[in-house]
Amino acid sequence: MKLMKHRSIQAVMVMLAMLWAGSASAELLIRVTEGRVDAVPIAVVPFAGAQGAPEDVSQIVEADLHRSGQFKPLPAEDMLSRPSNESEMIYRDFRVLGMEYVVTGSMKALESGGYEVKYALFDVSRQVKLLEESYRPPASQLRDVAHAISDRIYEQLTGIPGAFSTKILYVTYNRNDGKNPYQLQYADADGHRVTTILRSKEPIMSPTWSPDGRKVAYVSFENKGLPSIYVHELATTQRERVSSFKGINGAPDWSPDGQKLALTLSRDGNPEIYMLDLNTKALTRLTQHYGIDTEPRWLPDGKSLVFTSSRSGGPQIYKLNINDKSVRRVSFQGAYNARSDVTPDGRYLVYVHRRNGSFNVGVQDLQRGTFNIVTRTDMDESPSVAPNGSMVIYGTQDGGTGVLQAVSIDGRVKVELPSKEGEVREPAWSPFL
Amino acid sequence: MRSFLNPLFALMLAAVLAACSSTPAEDDSSATTAPEPTDTSPVTPVEPAEPVKPDTSSIPLTADNFYNHPSNYDGTTDTRVIYFAFDSNTVPAAAFETLRAHATYLKNNSNAKVRLEGHADERGTREYNVALSERRSQAVEKFLRVQGVSSSQIEVVSYGEEKPAASGHSEMDWAKNRRVEINYTAGTP
Repeated sequence: MKLMKHRSIQAVMVMLAMLWAGSASAELLIRVTEGRVDAVPIAVVPFAGAQGAPEDVSQIVEADLHRSGQFKPLPAEDMLSRPSNESEMIYRDFRVLGMEYVVTGSMKALESGGYEVKYALFDVSRQVKLLEESYRPPASQLRDVAHAISDRIYEQLTGIPGAFSTKILYVTYNRNDGKNPYQLQYADADGHRVTTILRSKEPIMSPTWSPDGRKVAYVSFENKGLPSIYVHELATTQRERVSSFKGINGAPDWSPDGQKLALTLSRDGNPEIYMLDLNTKALTRLTQHYGIDTEPRWLPDGKSLVFTSSRSGGPQIYKLNINDKSVRRVSFQGAYNARSDVTPDGRYLVYVHRRNGSFNVGVQDLQRGTFNIVTRTDMDESPSVAPNGSMVIYGTQDGGTGVLQAVSIDGRVKVELPSKEGEVREPAWSPFL
Repeated sequence: MRSFLNPLFALMLAAVLAACSSTPAEDDSSATTAPEPTDTSPVTPVEPAEPVKPDTSSIPLTADNFYNHPSNYDGTTDTRVIYFAFDSNTVPAAAFETLRAHATYLKNNSNAKVRLEGHADERGTREYNVALSERRSQAVEKFLRVQGVSSSQIEVVSYGEEKPAASGHSEMDWAKNRRVEINYTAGTP
């Protein structure tokens, strides 16, 4: 892996060059465009024994921590010493560089073909070891181990579980592919290890994860150009068409217990929110209004939904109580608010807000009632919250091409994930896997 | 920009009126300039003449008037795309003759079937745009139904912003993408 670094006063940019020689073609590149000014200085010392291994675990950990925007890793060339374990640790060498934490580790090839990976985390000012663990993965799982280490370090230092071991589901559109321009794919949260789930000549839309991360649901127009909703099991690639009514079959979203889908149907002539029981296939209509009702998203309690409705004119966000079907408006700023997602704690709503003709991701704090626009791009759509609530990934445009970007809930960290080929859109962040 | 629309509508109105057979009105004594009937032969419906094509060369084709520009509509079933104004699902006046031609054809050919494919421009969220574009194809469906076309000959599908006709991101690209495509799935004219 090549790591190029470029620093400026406000922004830190890291470009990860291609990692996987084998399946590199469609991978996403990640670039941190805006980090926190108060990002925590940390030294991830290159792991001993990484030469010749298929993956350099310490570089993956360093990139993960950097991509969170909350850490500012020290370039390896600036390190005064390169300890690989506690006995080699010289705290002074890192304290003089202003480091708060140090990660050391080693990789050793085993006769089995696997690896032994050890790492430790140190607190420089207190001069104590905070974590020390070892793993024995097969070579094919070195990236998983690296992300697991990042998760452990992140949680140790921030108190919030890391989301580096999660995945991103998204739609790719390549207009130069006359046969199958639409693809449904997922990748690691850092953009690597792309897997294609479905290729189609017709549009694929609105992908979403089951709460256990084992299935996805999406809209596909593959059947005579008409929309149907499919439930697709990733491990077996078995899939089931669960909704193909006349009119719109759209916007599926899984209930927190995994038993139901909320979805949009216009089978009665007008888009309304329905609830489909995936076991019994029973269908329950939840909204009754001549306006557009669509884009349902379950709240964590499983008893209510937020959705987009034009019942007051333009689109706004409403909350629906599933028991009594009562509806109340939630968004009040501006004339266009749509496609909401919600943080796992239910505190923040994230949705697309139009202001002066520009579409941005906005965050509404349901406790304090505040609303903030957190992006500066102008064609944002499909915001999706990370399972630890730290970041929001969304689709936008860069130079006329669809790209994915991520932003922290507080707007202080921004990350770009430009695609190497085609347009990337409609990201859905997986649950913890 | 908006001022283009008035002469445009006037032109279209003239074209529509010219294309209609002029049936003598019931004797209306209040109409001081009522024309004298020149012959007494029974009124026969005039064979719908070739639609009068106004000279549109003086009307610039802009993103603002694209949906209602006469050059997009020829009054026959050859025209298969109906364009819409921003944030609108109103069938444009310039498309009436074209849609009547489709309606007449569908009524005369009961084996013919059309799929009305609604589309939106890329602004806004994707599923909301699917719903908006459904309203456009429903508006065209309603127009055809009012003309007497059987519902069994019409299928409606909504693609939102997923299948743009123009891939750019300018106002003109958006004008070309806000559309309903009339696709014959059987009995193509």
